[in-house]
Amino acid sequence: MTIGLTHYLFVAAVLFATGLFTMMTKRNAIGILIGVELVLNSANVNLIAFDRYLGPGRLDGQITALFVIVLAAAEAALAVGICINVYKNLSTVDVDTATRLQG
Amino acid sequence: MMEHSLELALALGVLSPLISFWVLVFWGPKLGKPAAGWTAVVLGMGVPLVIATYVLIGWLNAIKTGKALELTANALRYHWADLGGVPITIGVKLDSLTVAMFFMVTFIAFWIFFFSVGYMAGHSDEVDHRSKYSRFFAYLSLFGFSMLGLLVSSSLLFLFIFWELVGLCSYLLIGYYFDKAYASRAAIKAFITNRVGDFGFLIGLMLVYFQLQTLDLDQAAARFAEQYAAGTGIFASTYTLFGWSLATIMGVGLFCGAMGKSAQFPLHVWLPDAMAGPTPVSALIHAATMVAAGVYLVARVFRLMTPDALMFVAIIGCLTLFLMALIAIVQTDIKKCLAYSTLSQLGYMIFGMGCGAWIAALFHLITHAFFKAMLFLGSGQVIEGCHHEQDMRRMGGLRRKMPVTCWTFFIGVLAISGAGIAGTTIGLGGFFSKDEILAVAYARAFEWDDYKKHDAHESHASIRTPSASEGPWLAEPVTDSKTVTQRGTTGGFSLVSDPAPAHARPVPHGESSKASIFNGIKALPKWMFYLALFTAYVTPFYMMRCWWMTFMGKPRDEHVHHHAHESPLMYIPLVVLAIGTFVSSYFLFRDLITDASTVATAAPLVLATDGHVHTPAINSAHHWLVYGVGGAFIVGFIIAIAIYAPGLYVAERIRRAVWPLHTLLVHKYYFDEVYDLIWVKGCIVFARICRFIDTWFVDLAFNILASATERFAAFSGLIIDNHGVDGVVNGVAQTSMDFSDVVRGPQTGRIRNYVLFAAGAAAVVIVLILIYGSGSSASVAAVAASPTS
Repeated sequence: MTIGLTHYLFVAAVLFATGLFTMMTKRNAIGILIGVELVLNSANVNLIAFDRYLGPGRLDGQITALFVIVLAAAEAALAVGICINVYKNLSTVDVDTATRLQG
Repeated sequence: MMEHSLELALALGVLSPLISFWVLVFWGPKLGKPAAGWTAVVLGMGVPLVIATYVLIGWLNAIKTGKALELTANALRYHWADLGGVPITIGVKLDSLTVAMFFMVTFIAFWIFFFSVGYMAGHSDEVDHRSKYSRFFAYLSLFGFSMLGLLVSSSLLFLFIFWELVGLCSYLLIGYYFDKAYASRAAIKAFITNRVGDFGFLIGLMLVYFQLQTLDLDQAAARFAEQYAAGTGIFASTYTLFGWSLATIMGVGLFCGAMGKSAQFPLHVWLPDAMAGPTPVSALIHAATMVAAGVYLVARVFRLMTPDALMFVAIIGCLTLFLMALIAIVQTDIKKCLAYSTLSQLGYMIFGMGCGAWIAALFHLITHAFFKAMLFLGSGQVIEGCHHEQDMRRMGGLRRKMPVTCWTFFIGVLAISGAGIAGTTIGLGGFFSKDEILAVAYARAFEWDDYKKHDAHESHASIRTPSASEGPWLAEPVTDSKTVTQRGTTGGFSLVSDPAPAHARPVPHGESSKASIFNGIKALPKWMFYLALFTAYVTPFYMMRCWWMTFMGKPRDEHVHHHAHESPLMYIPLVVLAIGTFVSSYFLFRDLITDASTVATAAPLVLATDGHVHTPAINSAHHWLVYGVGGAFIVGFIIAIAIYAPGLYVAERIRRAVWPLHTLLVHKYYFDEVYDLIWVKGCIVFARICRFIDTWFVDLAFNILASATERFAAFSGLIIDNHGVDGVVNGVAQTSMDFSDVVRGPQTGRIRNYVLFAAGAAAVVIVLILIYGSGSSASVAAVAASPTS
């Protein structure tokens, strides 16, 4: 059995679903962050796979994936910073308790 | 001599009292008594007097060297402002009249200031434990500034400004004892009465401004002459009021100001009440200078007068001089008696102006200023010496206690009565000036028609142009034969045919137009002359009565007589002014005025008449007039002495015999009562009527309108506003709120929910694409289905 595009897409879909599910179920901010990373990386897998199978010889997909990785790193740094501050203020990283700014 | 040194000196002389005023206002209370008084004497009037002397000498030199006219023409003028395109200039008027008046005012004022120091020394002047002493001298200084400013103003506007300022000073000084009700009432009365006159003055001023397009005195006169010659401007108007042309209204309007300030009938009522002020004030302001400002004004605007306007002036003056002289007879208050005599003499001056006796009227102004100031100061000495007793019936026999006052007062009485030896030139004050006015009046009343007939078919060479041919320093009769015959005893006519050469007037119709003007001037009604003549007999009577009751006979009140005394500080000015009376009768002033008359009366429409009643060249036809006028004082004196020498009982008997007349005179012809009835009560009645109209018409309509508005407002507020407008607004708000409640539901603030919504929505979108998918999604599906490609 040769590994084709469909397999990659399947792996990516599983990753995406796992990330989405993590985001929906976790109350811990770090957990949600992990979910987000999973979703982003599923997108990366998709991008590389499409690049490999649909546009061979072109690097559009790979470059976009690199952008996504950089973006994810920046986002993670920001999000972890927020988490630390939330923890400092509330002594917890439970997102349900961070309701102070709610109208 | 510097080019403008005289004008600058005059300006400095005007400003000096202002500085004195300023000093006294700020540091007066600190200076205290008597330093504040001496400040006013030195700075307020001493400096101006020195300057006036300097200017007088410089001016006499200028006349001698023939530069006077040039100096007058080149006098300083600065452009001050533009009023609707008409330039307003500020400048100094420099001519013989200004110089003479300036010297006269500063001289008299200086001695009155001097007198005031003595007069106020013994006065209790405290109000609320604070002395008013310095305030008195501050006001006097302010008056000095205003009066001198009035004299040197070359523009009618500035003349008017200073005119109002002297009025203000008069008000302040009459009301000096403002803690006494009568004084403050008198001050208000003076002020309001003057406003009436000033209203007329303003009308005249406006007419000058609009019709002549200038407010400068000389320019106005020149324009007036031009417009008359060309028949344009004010002479083009066909507007008439009471049969007066616009030009006449202008003259009468300007004269109204003089009526107020010079207290002419029917605005005379304020002057007797003004005696509520301190006596030096009465002497300075209400006898010698300010009240004469009216005459000065008429003299200044003489060139803007028409024959009709001058006739009006003459009538007013004539009524004043006669009516006021009669009141003076029955006065028992020494100051009131002098006040009425002032009114009567002012009437003479105004009457003289009306007759065209420009020189005589101003001459009378100056001689009168000297002796009336002296008389008032004498009365001030008497009042002060007798502990503020003003009733002459309680005096008598004061000659031993106050010899200097007594005899200087007597000189004043002689001067005002016109005492002198008829047919010669020995006399005092009124002997020259008043009789000159009468001479002119006689000429205008009796000889005028004859003269006109003569003149109609003869050349105008006989009409004397005064001074020009004589030279300013010769007050001799004119040598022209025709004039001499016409002069008779009474002087010659001098129709000033052409204005001064500086603004020579083109005469369009040649000599005939001049003749027609000349013929257009009516003779004076004869009754006016008779009234004036009769008054010349009344004047010595009441003056002698006043003097006799005060100083002669036996003391009628031991208490008053016992305390009477006089002080040197006060009688020195009396002696000086007595000398001034002599000097002013003979030297200097008449010549200066004659000199000024050339230009000042050079009007196209006006007839200036000159008269010498006592010149030796007496024509046989009018002998009786010379002796009739010149001897009047003897008759008056004899009657007065005959009545009052035995005591008061003769007068009492006469009073009972003619009680209706006496009552009329004591009540001053009921003028105050009539004015009270017409103006004061009239005002109140008018106010009541207004209130009635207000209550029953205006207020009623207003209230109906208000209640209607109220009803309507209630309707619109409750129904339309609450249910209509508010309903719409609230409805919108409520709807928004309901809607937002619905929308707010899903916004839980929980990330999980948002992610769920987002994922769900994405899933729905994908499902929808798959179900209703277009070609593109189908192709994607196809690509996905073929991994190898």
